[in-house]
Amino acid sequence: MPKAKSVSTGGFESTFHIFEPHKAKLPPLTNYLREFWKRREFAFELARFTDKAEYLDAKLGRVWMVLNPLLLALVYFLLVSVIKGGAAVHKIGLTTLTHILIGLFTFYFAQNCINAGATSITNGGRLILNQAFPRALLPLSSSIQALQQFLPELPVYIVVVVIAKLAYPKTHTPPITWHFLWIPFIIICVGLTGFGLSLGFAVMNVYFRDTNKFLAYVTRIWLYLSPVLWLPSTLRGWHYNLLLINPLGPAIAATSDVWVDGMNLNNLEIYGSIFWAIFSIVGCGYFFISRERDFAVRI
Amino acid sequence: MQSESDLEQEMLDSKLAVKIEELSITYKINLESKRTLKNAVMRASKGQKIKTKTVEAVKNLSLEVPHGSVLGIVGSNGAGKSTLMRAIAGILPPTSGRILVNGKISTLLALGVGFNPALSGRDNIILGGLAAGLTREEIEDKTDSIIEFAALPDGFIDLPVRTYSSGMYGRVAFSVAVNMTPDILLLDEALSAGDAAFKEKSFERMRELCKEARTIIIVSHALQTVIDLCDTAIWMHKGNMLQKGKPEGLVEDYLKFLKVGLLPTALEDV
Repeated sequence: MPKAKSVSTGGFESTFHIFEPHKAKLPPLTNYLREFWKRREFAFELARFTDKAEYLDAKLGRVWMVLNPLLLALVYFLLVSVIKGGAAVHKIGLTTLTHILIGLFTFYFAQNCINAGATSITNGGRLILNQAFPRALLPLSSSIQALQQFLPELPVYIVVVVIAKLAYPKTHTPPITWHFLWIPFIIICVGLTGFGLSLGFAVMNVYFRDTNKFLAYVTRIWLYLSPVLWLPSTLRGWHYNLLLINPLGPAIAATSDVWVDGMNLNNLEIYGSIFWAIFSIVGCGYFFISRERDFAVRI
Repeated sequence: MQSESDLEQEMLDSKLAVKIEELSITYKINLESKRTLKNAVMRASKGQKIKTKTVEAVKNLSLEVPHGSVLGIVGSNGAGKSTLMRAIAGILPPTSGRILVNGKISTLLALGVGFNPALSGRDNIILGGLAAGLTREEIEDKTDSIIEFAALPDGFIDLPVRTYSSGMYGRVAFSVAVNMTPDILLLDEALSAGDAAFKEKSFERMRELCKEARTIIIVSHALQTVIDLCDTAIWMHKGNMLQKGKPEGLVEDYLKFLKVGLLPTALEDV
C-alpha cells in the first residue's frame, strides 16, 4: 500500500506515494493496516449494497435466509429423533431441536463468511484491476454481510424456543444468567474465524477456480463434524479435546452451552475459540497479504 | 539512501507528478488451460509441476511526468502499457525500481469499476467513489455533478445499470473518474465511452483539469486522441520504452512501425 500523507502542492491538497518492491512479498504492514482501517466504510457500504442487490428482486429472499436453516433444523431434528427411536422428546421435549437450530444458525454464519469471502476476490475483478486498496476489504465485506444476515436469526431462535417450551414444557430453557454475556464473545470469535478462513480460501480460489465448488463439500462434512447434530457432551473424557481440531468446534460447543443451557463456558471453549480466531486471522491473513500482488495479474 | 521526506521534497522542488526510476515488472502466469484444484491434485499425483511462464511486462523504464501535463502511451497489445498504468496507480507493485507519485490518483483502467449491474447508477456512483477512497459524505457532495456530467437520459440514473447501453455505462464510469478532483488521472482506453458529443465533453473536461495543473496519463489506441490531447507521448514495445517525444512525430513513427514493422532505430535509415 502506498505510504501516503497530505502535503500542499500547487494550491491543491495532495498526497505523496512511494511504490517500491515488497519485502518478503509483503507490503509495509503498518501502512496496509492503516489503509485497511481508513477504508472500512467501503467494506460496510459494499456489504450493504451487495445485500440490497441480492434481494432487490426477491423480497422473500431475506425470509428464506431464516427459513432455510429453520426447515433444515426441523429435518435434522426428525432424523436424529428417528435414530434415537423418538424417546428423547418425552424426556427433554424439543431441546434437541433448539440445540440443532442455534448450532445451524451459528455454523451458517461462519459458512456464509467463508463461501462469500472465497469468491470475493475473483468476483471483484474489475475493482481489483482499477483501484489500489487493501484487498482484504473484499472478504471483510462478505463477512459483514454474513453478520448482517445472522443477527436477525437470533430473535427467531428465541421465538422458536418459547414456542417449543409452550408445546413441550420439558424443553430446556436457560435461566436468565450472566453467562449470556458470553454470546457477543462467541459471535466475535465465530466471525473472526470465518473471516480469517475466508482470506485463505479467497487466495485458493484465485489460483484454483473450482475451490468454491470444493468448499460446498468441505462445509457439509464440516457441519457433520461440528457439534450441531450431536451434543458436545457426547465426547467424553479426552475425546472432548478433539473439538479443538475443528476451527469451529469450541465456538459451536460454547454456543450450545450458553444458548440452550445457560451454562458458563469451560476453558477449552474459551481458549479454543480465541486460538482459532487468532490463528485464522494471523495465519490466513499473512497468506492473503503475501499473495495480493498476484491478484492483479491472475484475475 | 534518501528518506521519504527527502524524496517528497525533491518531487515538490522538481514539480513532478510522477517519477519512475528503473522500473521493472515481472510476474508469472499459469499456462494451464484449466486452473482447478482437481487438475493440481492430478498433476501432483503424477509428480508434474505447474506450467508457468514469467512475463517481463515492463523493463527498466525511467520516466518523469511534470504536473499539469498530459502524457499519452501508445503501443501494440502486450507492450506493457496497462501494467505500467497499474504500477503508477499502486495496484501492481514493482519487481524492481521505484515509482514516486505526488498527488491524489483517480483511475479508469477498467470500465465500470466496482459497478454492480443490479444496482442503480446512483448507487453505483456511491460505490465507485468509496472504492476510490472517498468518504460517503464526500461522494454524496459530488453525486449531482457526476450525474450532470454523465448526462444520461431522464430517469436512467435510478434504474439498474444492467439496463444501460455500453455507452451509458462508460459515461457514468468516466464521469465518476473525472469528478473525483484528482491530481493525477489515469485513463486506459476510457475515451471510447459515449457518443461524439460526450467525447468532446470529455476532452473539454480534461483540458480543464490540465488548466488546474492536474496531470493526465492516457493509454489509447486512438492515435488522433493522443495527438489532440497530449503534450508528450511514449511508445512502448514489449516492455521497453522505445521512444519519448512530441505526439505528432512519435505517432508517425509508430504508424510506420505498424505498417512496415520496423522499430525506431531502423526507421532512421528509411
